[in-house]
Amino acid sequence: MTGPAILLLLLGLGVAAWISARARATRLQTTANAGPVRGAMHSLPSYHGWYVALWTLIPGLIFLAVWSNVMPSLVTDAVLADPAAQSLPPGGFGRGAILNEARNIASGNQAAAFNPAAQALVEPYRAATSRYGTVGVILAIVLAFAGGAYAFTRIRPDFRARTRVERLVMGLLLGASLIAIITTVGIVASLLWESLRFFSMVNPFEFLFGTKWSPQSAAMGYGNAGAFGAVPLFWGTIFIGAIIAMIVAIPLGLMSAVYLTQYAKPSTRKWMKPILEILAGVPTVVYGYFAALTIAPALRDFAVSIGIHGASSESALAAGLVMGVMIIPFVSSMADDSIAAVPQAMRDGSLAMGATTSETIKRVLIPAALPGVVGGVLLAVSRAIGETMIVVMAAGLAANLTLNPFSSVTTVTTQIVQLLTGDQEFDSAKTLAAFALGLVLFIVTLLLNIVALRVVKKYREAYE
Amino acid sequence: MQKRIAARYASERRFKYLGMAAVLLSAGFLAFLLFKMVGDGAGGFTRTEVAVPIDFRSAPLVIDPATVNAQALSGANLQGVTAQAADAALGEGGDAMLSPNAWLTVRDAILDDPKILTQKVTLSLPGSTGIDLAAKSNASAADEAAYTRLQKAGVVSTGFNSAFLTASDATDPTQVGIWGAFKGSLLTMLVTLLLSFPVGVATALYLEEYAPKAWWTDIIEVSINNLAAVPSIIFGLLGLAIFLNLLDFPRSAALVGGMTLALMTMPVIVIAGRNAIKAVPPSIRDAALGVGASPVQVVFHHVLPLALPGILTGTIIGMARALGETAPLLMIGMRAFIATPPGGVTDPATVLPVQIFLWSDEVSKGFIEKTSAAIIVLLAFLLAMNGLAIYLRNKFEKRW
Repeated sequence: MTGPAILLLLLGLGVAAWISARARATRLQTTANAGPVRGAMHSLPSYHGWYVALWTLIPGLIFLAVWSNVMPSLVTDAVLADPAAQSLPPGGFGRGAILNEARNIASGNQAAAFNPAAQALVEPYRAATSRYGTVGVILAIVLAFAGGAYAFTRIRPDFRARTRVERLVMGLLLGASLIAIITTVGIVASLLWESLRFFSMVNPFEFLFGTKWSPQSAAMGYGNAGAFGAVPLFWGTIFIGAIIAMIVAIPLGLMSAVYLTQYAKPSTRKWMKPILEILAGVPTVVYGYFAALTIAPALRDFAVSIGIHGASSESALAAGLVMGVMIIPFVSSMADDSIAAVPQAMRDGSLAMGATTSETIKRVLIPAALPGVVGGVLLAVSRAIGETMIVVMAAGLAANLTLNPFSSVTTVTTQIVQLLTGDQEFDSAKTLAAFALGLVLFIVTLLLNIVALRVVKKYREAYE
Repeated sequence: MQKRIAARYASERRFKYLGMAAVLLSAGFLAFLLFKMVGDGAGGFTRTEVAVPIDFRSAPLVIDPATVNAQALSGANLQGVTAQAADAALGEGGDAMLSPNAWLTVRDAILDDPKILTQKVTLSLPGSTGIDLAAKSNASAADEAAYTRLQKAGVVSTGFNSAFLTASDATDPTQVGIWGAFKGSLLTMLVTLLLSFPVGVATALYLEEYAPKAWWTDIIEVSINNLAAVPSIIFGLLGLAIFLNLLDFPRSAALVGGMTLALMTMPVIVIAGRNAIKAVPPSIRDAALGVGASPVQVVFHHVLPLALPGILTGTIIGMARALGETAPLLMIGMRAFIATPPGGVTDPATVLPVQIFLWSDEVSKGFIEKTSAAIIVLLAFLLAMNGLAIYLRNKFEKRW
């Protein structure tokens, strides 16, 4: 029997259990209500149904989960006990390969054997698999029936089925909310673990402060020393994400927010705000394609025409410009919120003194809203330095420590993609370096987010 | 004084126009992007076809028109017949002017109407990459010359490229399609939705309705807010380290892609869900509790149904973000060349954004319009999803 079929069978049993238990509880309720005490039944019939159904399903499912982990080794033991396995090499890699091949043929993943020894083991494999599979199914069904029967005998007017079922529901809800913690721990643990392996090969100080990045030379056997200096990557990331992108995004985002909140007619605002928000919803791979195919060549031609040397078709400027546009809605909506949070009295006061709207905005609103705006900008920077596809497609791969926006630079995220796509050996410094870069990225974005939230929060309290 | 007021008013106008310019510039960039993609990609939905007369009466085919089926035709030498007919009609090298899978069109024509096997018919067959490029933009001199010759003979036309919607990835740009990537996207989204929606809603319910104020609930809150701001590529690293290396799940599979994206989408759903649940007025909870409902009944019978539209809106927005995501999927190996649509969630698959990324790397010029056409499809889907979310929000928005 296949996995889905067994699950369906168990599910069917569960439904049957639900229906029969509910029917029994309904009968009990009718008789109980006819008795001297009205409402003598503690729980509604459907809760009894759920209680029995859960007792039917959960033991069977748990058993199946355990069994699917135990079964392969049982099957292997059975195959090894088979007379056909006598001629196998004793232990080690060769034996594992033959067993693996036989398993693949038996399960239909492979058409024919390379090794005749494997062919001989196919039949024992099939026999053992089907034998243990049948045992598993029978045991699961027995468990389901046993659980269901136990729960069924407990259906009584005073049985608190609802409490039991609700306790399980609460447990599930709590379990779901723990997944966020597990994910966070998983991220930190996997990044730390792989990074520690990396730092056992490469000196962390060299990684953080070295200025030469050439993992390829390390992979080709020139040694790890001096190949993993990540400073050019950090610089490229800051140059694109925190400098060029922000030069585009801050003025455009801030002025858009000012115009839409202070000048635009409500109808214009109603249309323009969602349109600007589309900019944040466009997939980054589209921006990357656009930057690489349209913006970058145009910028290179422009740079060549004004006589700049070293203009590359993959440039920091192309990636940064497009990323800045992507970030506009973040800046503008944060600015929008914090301008709206400035008390109306301050604005009215300034206008009443005879200031024009623009003077009010420049001298009163923006200074008052500044912490919120700064928080928004920090969040935008955190977003920009974690952005991957635009820089992968438009920024280039050359680790340059340059101030020239027309030259190619590389970033942390580009290098992570570059190091992990391609040949994958998981013990080389080259692939592990990606995790170290990921760890740096994680820590930096985390710090930026914490600081940004602090700034915003502190500012909000000022007017309350 | 007058002068100073005039200067102040002028500065006021300048400032206002500056704001307007910022808005227009941002919107203009979006318009330019969409315009450029549509302009580049429109050609991807059409193809250049060459009319080729085929005389089946003299063709060396042994097929009985009464019992024609796709299998029998694949065995018959339709490639050879097509090539011969092309050479005969278009002169030496005529076969090279047709797409390598032009014979599929012949096969479909026979399947449509087996009677043509006893006739001489003229079929519109897809042209080769070179001919297609020559018709739409500029190609190599040889292709341009061949195209001019065909044009003079009056046999070229433009037709709807249905293969683009039904085929999968290929090495030749005339043969590529988005169906494989689209199906991969659907499967990945399905896994993402099935995992992130129940978990997200359950988390939101727990935190908003039941969680005691304690240090560990604070940790849950902090980690959810933090996960919502973690760069997506970090989730890719997590998927690679945990799902692939530790748990040994299949590489490039929609299952792993979906699980990775689900971890990313879950915080979005939780945050939207909490806001929706918070918006349900306490009086409803009090009333339900007052008539004897248990806390679980209050939530599942009253609060959740009322909060569901808001949760759904947040879910759609989260799914739209997951649909456009590329970087984490590159990490878990979904960048392989995959020419057959995935049959299940454990088969190697690719998704639309990754397909766009892969095509954008191709050197062949014919891929440019295909990439843009795929982008049009992706953007259309995202706009539809976001439109649906806005519609739901407007329809179900309640002021209590």
